[in-house]
Amino acid sequence: MRLEIGNFHIQDVDFGETTVFENGLLTINKDEALRVVYEDDRITDADIVIARPNDPIRITPVKDAVEPRCKVSGGELYPGLTNNLVPAGTGRTHVLKGGCVLAVGKHWGGFQDGLVDMSGPGSYQTMFSYLLNICLVADTNEDDENHEQQKKNTALRLAAIRLSEYLGECIRDMEPDGLEVYDLPSPNELEDRVKELPRVVYVLQLQSQMIENGYNSLVYGWDARNMLPTLMHPNELLDGAVVSGSFMPSSSKISTYQHVNNETVKRLMREHGVTINFLGVIVSNLNVALEEKQRSAMRIKQIASSLGAEGAIVCEEGYGNPDTDFILAISEFEDAGIKTVGITNEATGRDGRSQPLVDLSIKANALISTGNVSQILKLDPMEVVVGELESLTRDGNSGGWDGSIKADGSIEMENNGIFCADANTGNHFKTVVEY
Amino acid sequence: MKKAIYYLNQFFGQIGGEEKADYRPDIQEGVFGPGMLLKNWLEPDIEVTHTVVCGDNYFGSKKDEAVEIILDLLENKTFDVFIAGPAFMAGRYGFACGEICKAVKETFNVPVLTSMNVENPAVEMYRKDIYIFSGGRSAATMRKDVPTMADFITRLLAGEETLSAREEGYFPMGIRGETFVKPPKMGADRAVEMLLQKLNDDEYETEIPIPKIDKVPIAPPLADLNKETVALVTSGGIVPEGNPDGIQSASATKWGKYDITGQGELKAGEWETIHAGFDPSAANENPNVVVPLDAMRHFENEGKIGRLYHFLYTTVGTGTSQAEASRMGNEIANELLEANVSAIVLTST
Repeated sequence: MRLEIGNFHIQDVDFGETTVFENGLLTINKDEALRVVYEDDRITDADIVIARPNDPIRITPVKDAVEPRCKVSGGELYPGLTNNLVPAGTGRTHVLKGGCVLAVGKHWGGFQDGLVDMSGPGSYQTMFSYLLNICLVADTNEDDENHEQQKKNTALRLAAIRLSEYLGECIRDMEPDGLEVYDLPSPNELEDRVKELPRVVYVLQLQSQMIENGYNSLVYGWDARNMLPTLMHPNELLDGAVVSGSFMPSSSKISTYQHVNNETVKRLMREHGVTINFLGVIVSNLNVALEEKQRSAMRIKQIASSLGAEGAIVCEEGYGNPDTDFILAISEFEDAGIKTVGITNEATGRDGRSQPLVDLSIKANALISTGNVSQILKLDPMEVVVGELESLTRDGNSGGWDGSIKADGSIEMENNGIFCADANTGNHFKTVVEY
Repeated sequence: MKKAIYYLNQFFGQIGGEEKADYRPDIQEGVFGPGMLLKNWLEPDIEVTHTVVCGDNYFGSKKDEAVEIILDLLENKTFDVFIAGPAFMAGRYGFACGEICKAVKETFNVPVLTSMNVENPAVEMYRKDIYIFSGGRSAATMRKDVPTMADFITRLLAGEETLSAREEGYFPMGIRGETFVKPPKMGADRAVEMLLQKLNDDEYETEIPIPKIDKVPIAPPLADLNKETVALVTSGGIVPEGNPDGIQSASATKWGKYDITGQGELKAGEWETIHAGFDPSAANENPNVVVPLDAMRHFENEGKIGRLYHFLYTTVGTGTSQAEASRMGNEIANELLEANVSAIVLTST
């Protein structure tokens, strides 16, 4: 199964008469782009704002991030959600590399929404401070949700995907700067020397704690809560088979951008045939009931064992309750003789002295830490706020509280509320150490 | 210029050897013995203004008295940092350095630090309270151990960023905090490389060492449940409508107690959940699914339990740190013990 990712590296973004990519500059016809946004009647008011790295800009509430892409051949983007349900992961996909569409609430935020600083110390926290952000700032008529702490953010999340696809269209017929090729043959096609290498699986535990539809991560448009763990070709993940949900404190979430740019999977693909024999991605979930956790862990182990896995990397989308699933999966693997590395964030408390994960096992002896959700951040006022800063305290953001916003506009918050900051897909260089 | 006060035992303070180990604490201006070395490394940013000297036996046998005398001696002094040792492998000296540093930190709220060998028993006793730098086994490493402390304290007092315990060379204090991998290395690369090391049986180092797990033994069963008072406690965030105590919806640091006298069940509209970690619709429709007051009243009427305690205790368990949860649990348990409650039904979400 072969996927070609054609990259077009963006140097800058601006508005103009036509949406076009030329000499590194992405020009956007704002009216035309907004018409795509308004295709959904639920969007009542929308604007597009550009935020560049090092700009004095604070963006919040951010609901999802989507990479501007175009499916040139071999399928459709985000199948089963915004497009027809067809297999993902083959053919050619063009990408406006370095650019990112952020779905931003004009007013309303919530528990699951995040904050991005484009400069200052807050900008180290998250990979999204390093991208050219095309912020879709919008209001919707989902009024019943305005005062809910948990928001599905449906209209805005879908609008960001539509906008990203609209932008991606401008590079459909162009030649990319470079081509990344992801080609993982089926086991019977492997060369003998590859068959000798240690067999490795990647496990992606998607957020699926909410009972009602509309909050959880989606697999081919299907609520991850409703599935048993399943084996996926890595290309499917890198080509849009999985879309982010709208639940979990923001720093622990995996955005749609990060799913298609999962750096751990990309690195495993590069290692395939060199140091390892990469068997594929097991997509699992993080349901709340114990039996559901056990069932998923059992299935993960069975799939890995049936494939003959000797090594595994397990990635958890979230913290707290899902730590149980994470530790259970690692324990099952280690018991089955599969050497496992886990990648997750921690909640060590504001004084840093708490147990890092809710559940622990001595079998989890190889863990990568991507951040501490309870790290306190004090951030200076920012000249420009895209969205509404008030949402940090008013709407129940997981990293904010009454008093988070100071009189001078500076803020004090927990890392919990920084947008996709802990990047459990391995896309950032933050970690936790002992002092 | 910032000011430091230095602590030495009778030997390094040049009072005498074992025969002077009962030397009563005293303070003098200036530096002695290893203080000269310290002074040279701290200048020009920090001046060592005084040296406290105390006999090891005096400190060991009359600890409370020694601490009190030294704190008195420091009372009218101005200083920005308190430094003790290095104590190397010396057990009594290590104990004195650890104990006095801890007391000075608590009393004067200034940074304190010392240095010892890993085998000094005082390391385990005090490393969670104070900076203890990893030092050599004997005074032969003085010229290495003193500059390490001096360099750290100079940067600390200058307000510069300090690194992890490992990088700085002190024993970990049990505080886990964020940093950025330098040079930048993504979690993905760290994870895959750790997996390759593990697969090859090479050495690797986990980024989250698994701490010792506190296991609480299961309590023995109650002999006569029909004579006992049972209380309801929840981490499911069930509160009277409006959340009168302002308990946080996540990362809670507060708990509340609410009178349930005369209530046969928790009525929707009068009670709600403020817990942000689960879908609240079912709990708001019927709060008894999280706090089973209806079922407990049934057992009370049946005589299966003696009595249901008239207060419901509530907090929120999502994102709540283990330390905060332990503290709140202790506080609630103590109240219940005082009220002669002998069993609780603890529900989550």
